[in-house]
Amino acid sequence: MTEPAEIHTRPKIVGARIKRTEDPRLLTGLGGYVDDKQVPRLLHVAFRRSDHSHARIRAIDCAAARAAPGVVAVFTADDMQSLVKPLRATSRMAGYHATPILPLASGKVRYVGEPVVGVIAESRYLAEDALELIAIDFEPLPVVVDPEEAARPGAPLLHEEAGTNVLIAREFKRGDVDAAIEAAPVRVKGRFRMRRKTAVAIEPRAYLAEHEAGRDAITLHSATQIPGIVRDALAEALDMPGHRLRVVAPDVGGGFGGKGSLYPEEIFVCAAARALARPVKWTSDRMEDLAATSQAFDEIVDAELGLDKEGRALGLRADVIGDVGAYSIYPWTAGLEPVQVVSFLPGPYRIQHYRGRVRAVATSKAPTGPYRGVGRPISTFVMERLMDMAASRIGIDPREIRARNFVRPEEFPYKTGSGIVWDRSGFSECLTAACDKLGYDDLRAKQAKARAAGRWFGIGIASYAELTGIGSRISVAPGMPINTGTETATIRIDSTGAVTASFGIASHGQGLETTLAQVVAEHLGARIEDIRIVQGDSSAVAGSTGTYASRSAVLAGGAATLAAQAVSEKVLVVASHLLEAAAGDLIAGNGRISVAGTDRSVAFREVARAVYSEMGRLPPELRDELAATKTYDPVFGTTTSATHIATLEIDPQTYEVRIGRFVVAEDCGRLINPLIVDGQVHGGVAQGIGAALYEEVVYDDQGQIHTASLVDYVVPSAAEIPPMDVVHLETESPTTLGGFRGMGEGGTIGAPAAVANAIADALSPLGIEINELPITPERLFRLIGAAQAKV
Amino acid sequence: MKPAAFDYIVADSLEAAVAALAGAGGEAKIIAGGQSLVPMLNFRLLKPSVLVDINRIPGLAFIKESEKTIEVGALTRHHQIETSPVIAKHLPVLGCAMTHVAHLAIRNRGTIGGSLSHADPAAELPMLALLLDASLEIASASGRRTVAARDFFLAALTVDLNDGDIVTGITFPKLPAKTGWGFEEVARRSGDFALAAVAATLTLSGGAIAQARIAMTGVGPTPRRAGDAEALLTGKPLGPDLIEAVIKLVRAGVEPESDLHASADYRRHLAGALAGRAVAAAWRRAQGKTA
Ligand SMILES: Cc1cc2nc3c(=O)[nH]c(=O)nc-3n(C[C@H](O)[C@H](O)[C@H](O)COP(=O)(O)OP(=O)(O)OC[C@H]3O[C@@H](n4cnc5c(N)ncnc54)[C@H](O)[C@@H]3O)c2cc1C
Repeated sequence: MTEPAEIHTRPKIVGARIKRTEDPRLLTGLGGYVDDKQVPRLLHVAFRRSDHSHARIRAIDCAAARAAPGVVAVFTADDMQSLVKPLRATSRMAGYHATPILPLASGKVRYVGEPVVGVIAESRYLAEDALELIAIDFEPLPVVVDPEEAARPGAPLLHEEAGTNVLIAREFKRGDVDAAIEAAPVRVKGRFRMRRKTAVAIEPRAYLAEHEAGRDAITLHSATQIPGIVRDALAEALDMPGHRLRVVAPDVGGGFGGKGSLYPEEIFVCAAARALARPVKWTSDRMEDLAATSQAFDEIVDAELGLDKEGRALGLRADVIGDVGAYSIYPWTAGLEPVQVVSFLPGPYRIQHYRGRVRAVATSKAPTGPYRGVGRPISTFVMERLMDMAASRIGIDPREIRARNFVRPEEFPYKTGSGIVWDRSGFSECLTAACDKLGYDDLRAKQAKARAAGRWFGIGIASYAELTGIGSRISVAPGMPINTGTETATIRIDSTGAVTASFGIASHGQGLETTLAQVVAEHLGARIEDIRIVQGDSSAVAGSTGTYASRSAVLAGGAATLAAQAVSEKVLVVASHLLEAAAGDLIAGNGRISVAGTDRSVAFREVARAVYSEMGRLPPELRDELAATKTYDPVFGTTTSATHIATLEIDPQTYEVRIGRFVVAEDCGRLINPLIVDGQVHGGVAQGIGAALYEEVVYDDQGQIHTASLVDYVVPSAAEIPPMDVVHLETESPTTLGGFRGMGEGGTIGAPAAVANAIADALSPLGIEINELPITPERLFRLIGAAQAKV
Repeated sequence: MKPAAFDYIVADSLEAAVAALAGAGGEAKIIAGGQSLVPMLNFRLLKPSVLVDINRIPGLAFIKESEKTIEVGALTRHHQIETSPVIAKHLPVLGCAMTHVAHLAIRNRGTIGGSLSHADPAAELPMLALLLDASLEIASASGRRTVAARDFFLAALTVDLNDGDIVTGITFPKLPAKTGWGFEEVARRSGDFALAAVAATLTLSGGAIAQARIAMTGVGPTPRRAGDAEALLTGKPLGPDLIEAVIKLVRAGVEPESDLHASADYRRHLAGALAGRAVAAAWRRAQGKTA
């Protein structure tokens, strides 16, 4: 792994390759996850879930379950009605249909796995025993599984009150795309399909609600990415003020978006704990996780690109159907992913004429929600395939066609046809760096030899841009009325000199305890080990959302900078009094404040003691709390870009794919911790390889889910993931405070397209296009068989 | 995913285990490594009233060499077989196959007796038992019997065991001199059950194949031998045309099923391709070359 020399020479804490401070705890089993929590009198929940895709609930008989050993209570939707108000993910978008979010299915079930009855018992075992005693009388309704059929008028409706299964329809356009494409000398098009995926965090979702009867207060311990959003939603659903609700996300074992929405089970445990005045826990098992955690990446894209003879793009048009599943997820709405596909389709390229149409269609499958990359893995797959198809049509190298089409440095800020504005980011620099790292030209020469020997060897490039660190002027999800664009930090030095920095974000694997401590340490002059980062707790700051959308380093990093600077000023005032030196002559670093050019210094600890504990050491006006709360809002967002290149070889007899090298060159602005950036890229690429080659949620034509265990839902393991080379570039400092850009998702955005292009490249002697992901051995078998039959 | 309630008996001798099984009247299940059984309990696909744990029975985990055979105790863990020098020397194809069985953590627990008794249609050990003409020793309240591997596997997850039976050991004849072997597998991921796998041995005499054995898994309800291809190979030296003929025969002879991961057609295609490679590797090894 290499990085530019400047990073080695940077003296500061921000930019240092520091090992994650949370890892010793997490790696030695000393972390605390929701399911680890020991609570006296704890009750356990098991859900009876729908085994129908779409059915009316005629009657539920719970009598035998209520009488079963160890059962304390059994709830149906009717029992929940007086306890919980329905929520809806609202949107300002015209023609959008919200759907109700309830703890249990009411009246109808709309996907296999939807919770219908909640059994609460003294143990999970007894609760599951009682599930078998529940009799539900279902009246099957026509299934709604094919999104294209579901979008047609007259299709059976999932939500009658919406009057349609099309929950959102949108169109973005600029110029006259039809004319531009009709007139284009080169046209390439295709129907692209990305298959449904799910996040598969190692820790499945888990919720434990404690009710404090004396105050009628609830603490929800939740394996969530969004404790702030959940707290605010519960306040509405349970009709309680925020100070009687606290949502704590302790150590969380991965999220990837799957823990980034509000879930029925979360509302259920809170309502049940309140009704029973006992703590109530539900931990998802893997089967429930695969059936009822939000899914994603399920789109059909018909796209066409028109170019001039030199391969310069003239116009791009696309029709997108997003299969969004049964409900419009809270708070992001059903528009989240499909709308992003058309928003980001033009990618990092200059394309004057554009039209993207999208429909988000409800089907009787698990709801879709955020998943690392949101929409952009699909848009990048489509755009990068089109670029390669065009390059091969014109007869130029895939590298060259990208170089010809990138937005040029002097054109930033550049507004795309869909209205996204790119600030300056290293589009072409990343392509060059990735090719250099790979030894691109040499490899092409080797490929020619391999091809001559009958080998199927491919090289695939994918370039993309994404908007990260989004501020308050842009909705993270289209039309969503919740502000996700600000982040607040409170930093406090206590009477022992220890520093506590509190945030609204919720780290679930990103190492934010380390990176935020680096930012605080740098601006405060404190030592990393003296700083505690409090996060994942709705009570840490007044208003918060959580961690998603590549926002936390940018937004929380900015808030940390502001708050640390404010606290530092206070520290220096006190230190100047103690050291009898002008504040301007003081330098803070490594936990001490020293007078420049002398050996005189005080430790943070002494400053704190002087402020809080010692009598008469300071004049009264200097006894101000060493604390500050600051909010940061980047207002817009900032562009992160990268180029991924994969090389691979396909076994000509078994059609197994073996990835050889994987190179990523990325520009995420200033690096807080290169080690963590590497890790984020590695993990993201692994997920992208999963999307390209392995992972697929399979529903049959009756809406039954067939991937109900990890035998059938195939997640790549370490053995399937190649070593990677990651090159970091900092082309230009963005306007964000600290110069950070978000980079938590990019790995997953670029990898599927790079792998798809490499496979198409390997099989180009057979003229095979790769338009569907994951491209499994079975799909390759069929494609290759059909191509060979033609020859 | 919690199992239904069951009683749990730890047997400390074969006699105690056999008695416990006999006492439960068909309601009991043996638990060995638990790597196949426990998932089925958790899915509530099985609800035995009693589990008889055989892990603490002494003397059931061993690899014993005698003049003509290698005997392996039923409780021998996959990892022991994988790393045994005796296996590496006399049954290298078995040692190689073990590296394809699941992951190390599972191989540390899973047992050969459990794998053969469970008889997953895509498991490696049943195929190897069939390839190597092994036989199984079985104990029950009514005595002991020996069953040839070729008669043991009846259908998917179904073997020639009665309710009270315990597999105690497996006997493998050593490979004859001048024998080469090949093992080829395709799985979705490292450690997954095979989409298709083929193992072969070729024993040479003069310049030709005196005995050919080819076994396959993942391409039908039970492992099977490719009898036609074996017959075709016998008496001939291996060359490209013969390999092609083997591939064709194997493809014509299997009737795989389709599932989520592979269609019957793809499995059939794989069976042929892998058989060709396994036979070619066996031929090279039989001549003392590396495969
Ligand atoms: C993730 C995963 C991946 C796997 N991948 C593979 C793979 O690629 N290839 C492969 O072959 N296997 C694979 N396995 C299965 C593994 O090899 C098991 O260890 C093996 O199938 C069963 O052995 P066990 O000792 O665990 O048996 P158990 O699970 O304890 O028992 C299995 C069955 O055999 C019966 N049984 C056990 N011992 C005896 C005995 N001595 N006599 C009579 N009946 C007995 C039990 O009653 C039960 O019905 C995988 C397992 C897992 C969990």
